[in-house]
Amino acid sequence: MGLSYKMRLLILALGIGIATTGGLFIKSLLKPESFGVYGPYRAAAIDEEAQIPIRHATNVSCYSCHPYEAKIHKAGLHKTISCEFCHGPWADHVAGSKKVGTLPVKKDGEITTLCLRCHNTEITARPHEVIKTVAMPGHLESQKVKLTHNCNQCHHVHAPLKYINRAKQITESAEKAL
Amino acid sequence: MNTLLTAANSGESIGSATMLVSNYVFPNDIHVHWSMMIVLYPYITGLVDGAFIIAALYYLFDVKSLKPVARFSLLFALAFLCCATLPLLLHLGRPERNFNMLLTPSPSSAMAGFGYIYAVSMGVLTFIVLFVYRPVLVELRSTAKGWLQVLYRVITFDSIDLSQGARQLDAKIIRFLVGIGIPIAAILHGYVGFIFGGVKANPTWSTPLMPVIFLFSACVSGISAIILAYIVIRKFRGKSISHSAIATMTKTLTLFFILAFCFEMLEVFSHTYLKSGYHHMVEGLLNGPLASSFWLWQVKICSMIPLILLGVMGLFKLREGIYNLLAAVVSAILLLQVLIMRWNVVIGGQLMSKSARGYTAFHPEWFDKEGIIAVIIVMAIPFAILWGLGKIFPFWAQESE
Repeated sequence: MGLSYKMRLLILALGIGIATTGGLFIKSLLKPESFGVYGPYRAAAIDEEAQIPIRHATNVSCYSCHPYEAKIHKAGLHKTISCEFCHGPWADHVAGSKKVGTLPVKKDGEITTLCLRCHNTEITARPHEVIKTVAMPGHLESQKVKLTHNCNQCHHVHAPLKYINRAKQITESAEKAL
Repeated sequence: MNTLLTAANSGESIGSATMLVSNYVFPNDIHVHWSMMIVLYPYITGLVDGAFIIAALYYLFDVKSLKPVARFSLLFALAFLCCATLPLLLHLGRPERNFNMLLTPSPSSAMAGFGYIYAVSMGVLTFIVLFVYRPVLVELRSTAKGWLQVLYRVITFDSIDLSQGARQLDAKIIRFLVGIGIPIAAILHGYVGFIFGGVKANPTWSTPLMPVIFLFSACVSGISAIILAYIVIRKFRGKSISHSAIATMTKTLTLFFILAFCFEMLEVFSHTYLKSGYHHMVEGLLNGPLASSFWLWQVKICSMIPLILLGVMGLFKLREGIYNLLAAVVSAILLLQVLIMRWNVVIGGQLMSKSARGYTAFHPEWFDKEGIIAVIIVMAIPFAILWGLGKIFPFWAQESE
């Protein structure tokens, strides 16, 4: 080919220009249709998200069928804790107004594991002044109980100080009686 | 979970096991999400920037003493620029989705902006290399055979015109490309700093100084890399080392390092003096989890020692051999300094809880997706590319061989 060097560079520059324009054109073709209607996201995503079945509910939904647990839970220090934190999502239990499954209830050693998710002193990023934290087995030793004890043997899981306060009341009234 | 249960039942300390299964309600930040790949991302782009500065000093500002390393700097920058996005893609769970981001850029998407800036810098740097190497490539084309000849035909734009006019045109194009290459390189790495500086939720990152600090430290790491690579490769091949090139690069390095170190310290000083918002957390971070990696390694060992050595090299007349040796040592320490600085910014910045209520720890793993082995592999790839580029584009000009 007898093209001069200048001409070749001109063709190169044109090629870059065409490639860039083509790239931008392809970009415009691939851009999702509803992008940018309300902001820098797909407007259709709002409807898609709305179609996703709801899996979580509030404690009020649980209280309607579990009045005994509700009464204790609402009176205790755990009243702000969602039932689902420990028992799992509501949708696994109820569909429409029918029971479709049984949610897990932790037992024995599992209970201690569950409690320590929040109440472990070892978790340094824990606001100690807000949530009571303990170190194991130090806490069991200081309370003079067996090291095999699980948390729920002294603490009611739905109202942690229910038994503790009751025990204090009994011992105080016994002391007064003496 | 089983470990935890066993530990809980046997009454042993269960702290570490509980940490693994936590993050349920509190604490909200026990996991470092941006780990070592995100440390490499600013490190690799920084190396590109610094190397490009050396090339620009020669091709745009006519600093003649840098001629022996100018071409090598360009190739070094290109090899590392090829891998600049690699750590980011490896960090992603679905790397192919990065193209989605590029399809819908918007002023609220900082990473999409980086994609476009990266693409432009890659294009500009590639063409700078092609135009700088054209006379050599035309020569090599005549002796090459097979696929190599086809490659040389493509990258010489299928022209063997080396007339005075063509060379003058090339020189003009090179000056123009390097001219726009400097702001593009500055934007590329300044933008990396901006991406961190733009994270409002993190008080250690959220400062307008961040792009400036990143930019200067980038120049430091890139220039150090060129000094070290030049000395090591030339020594290894038993070739001469241009003392004037080393001296010019060391002086440039000194300037950039003083600026970089000043800004790094100014940032800490500003936080300390202003005692703004989350100062108590940043102070605790620097004196707690980062006490060793920041104060000891980044500041005392890897900044003070190079400052003293650079001072000695600048103030006293040293023998060429000793000067070159010191330049290599300083460069190696400064490469480490910048890597530690990136580590302290990226990983260090994430060691504090966003609830400002505590700190966490980071333990690198060997075989993780973003582990130490992966880091070594990612850092080795640019060198492999550089070796490959060296087969097509000779590193050194004929006369200095």
